[in-house]
Amino acid sequence: MSLPTPVARQDRRSRRKTRSTTLTPLFLFAPAALVLIAAVGYPLVRLVISSFQDFGLKSLFLGETSWVGFQNYINIFTSDDFWPVLLRTFAFAGACLVLTVGLGMMMSELMMRLNKPMRVALNVVLILAWAIPTVTATLIWQWLFQPPYGVVNWLITRLGIFGDFTDHNWLTTPGDAWIMVTLLVVWQGAPFIAFTLYAGQSQIPREYYEAAMLDGASGIKIYTTVTFPFLKAIIYLVSVLTIIWRFNIFNQIWILTRGGPEGGTTTLGIWSFREAFAGNDYGQGAAIAVVTAGILMLLTAFYVRRLVRSGEQL
Amino acid sequence: MSVPLAAKRRRRSFRSRGPGAHILGLLLVLIWGFPTYWMLNSAFKTPDKLTSVEPEFFPSPLSLEAFIRAFLKPGFLTSLGNSLLIALIVVLASIAVGFLATAALTRFRFFGRKAILVTILAIQMIPSIALLIPLFLTFRDANMLNTYWALALAYLASALPFAIWVLRGFFQSIPEEIDEAARLDGAGDLRVLWSIYFPLVLPGLISTAVFTFIEAWNDYIMAYILLQEQAKYTLPVWLVSFNQDTGIDYGGLIAASVLFSIPVVVFFLLVQRNLVAGMSGGAVKG
Repeated sequence: MSLPTPVARQDRRSRRKTRSTTLTPLFLFAPAALVLIAAVGYPLVRLVISSFQDFGLKSLFLGETSWVGFQNYINIFTSDDFWPVLLRTFAFAGACLVLTVGLGMMMSELMMRLNKPMRVALNVVLILAWAIPTVTATLIWQWLFQPPYGVVNWLITRLGIFGDFTDHNWLTTPGDAWIMVTLLVVWQGAPFIAFTLYAGQSQIPREYYEAAMLDGASGIKIYTTVTFPFLKAIIYLVSVLTIIWRFNIFNQIWILTRGGPEGGTTTLGIWSFREAFAGNDYGQGAAIAVVTAGILMLLTAFYVRRLVRSGEQL
Repeated sequence: MSVPLAAKRRRRSFRSRGPGAHILGLLLVLIWGFPTYWMLNSAFKTPDKLTSVEPEFFPSPLSLEAFIRAFLKPGFLTSLGNSLLIALIVVLASIAVGFLATAALTRFRFFGRKAILVTILAIQMIPSIALLIPLFLTFRDANMLNTYWALALAYLASALPFAIWVLRGFFQSIPEEIDEAARLDGAGDLRVLWSIYFPLVLPGLISTAVFTFIEAWNDYIMAYILLQEQAKYTLPVWLVSFNQDTGIDYGGLIAASVLFSIPVVVFFLLVQRNLVAGMSGGAVKG
């Protein structure tokens, strides 16, 4: 009676061994491999190749491309646009990081404190802001800020602090255009952070708060000593995600401003897109895209390293 | 006795459900709700009310005229059909391919498995502009611009890694003993895939389908570049091009945007919880 067990175990072990040498996983993974090679691997190789080519309209129609070495890269770093564009991209990602993560933390803490009807109301408006597709949100923004019928201009006029805003065009100065874009992105972006943090915050055991209160800690003290340490990992994660997303922003700016006025809202992504698809200089656009991806990799190197390390336990 | 009482009193002061939090809460509800409210308010107005000097905060008369105009706009129904078709292709492809690939990655040990998983994570960090330029050039060479296959493949580049990442969690929660029991009963690989894994990861496949649908439905930039014929436009591209016409019919545009958003909002409400978990679980596409 005691025999079957060891036999079964050995049998199981041997099966696992045969399973690991079977071709099944290869067949199962083959379609995904094909898709990823065709839609990611090959395009990335081609991106790098074309960044070393003079790939313009002529190449597009006649198929003639010439190698130009690092010329496209030299063009980037010697361009008068490079530093302003880089600075803008960083400043925008930084501003979004501070605003969305800050507001998200505040909203999540607030959700813990509100009574049920208020919490539900806040949840509903946040989910809607988050769920509405970017294109819709951007078109609504355009309508909100539309002179002279936009309700925002009407509200500002009503406030009476800035005078008559009825005909104010938000697309004439880069500063105004940035305000519009940033408000849009923060409106769309803060809810995700608020919900993610709230999910984390509601996991914190009650006892920790009770202990802190017995020690006589105040509200802010409790937040910094109990809540924040618990949320730190999540805050780190959503911060990295925010940086990646906002660094790569495209749709909102392109639809609202096309990178204008006078290039004032051109970020790295918009710059690359303009060079490639408006200027028909695909080589130059590719080089900018490579530089953008490189900067983003440097920025998130820590995070990526952690991901790779977590890959050890996958 | 005095200590718990004091604690209770302090607890009331900390996390007070007092007026301060509720005033701030109300303010946030008003600010964050305003754009959505204004969208709906504008969509139900008649054209003359939409462009009145004093904006009206409630549509009176409540009119469906803008929605009817949206439906009758040239191209709306065509782009709606295009959007549905492309989303359907991408959803089916990503759950089918993702299901098989995740089964391979989680239920079998083979050389390169970890490297593949890390690559799949890393892919999600590539800016879409970096793929857009080479995909455009490649599809142009292959004469595939203006085809749904090209667009579907471009969407799969981001949908598939995400699908694999979401499904991974579902596959990992299936105990190994279940496969072994099935195999002892003589079930082959296909049988295990279909009769064991498929029903058990079905909830994961449904969330994956929803995520993928949202991503394909919402995309603007890929479709804008890869589809250049008006008859092939998806809804977002159509909406934006419509927006750039002179003398825009804002009422019709906003009503069309509302119609375009409804499926996404409904799906979002269904999977909101999973979305928080899925996004923070390592998937990083914006």
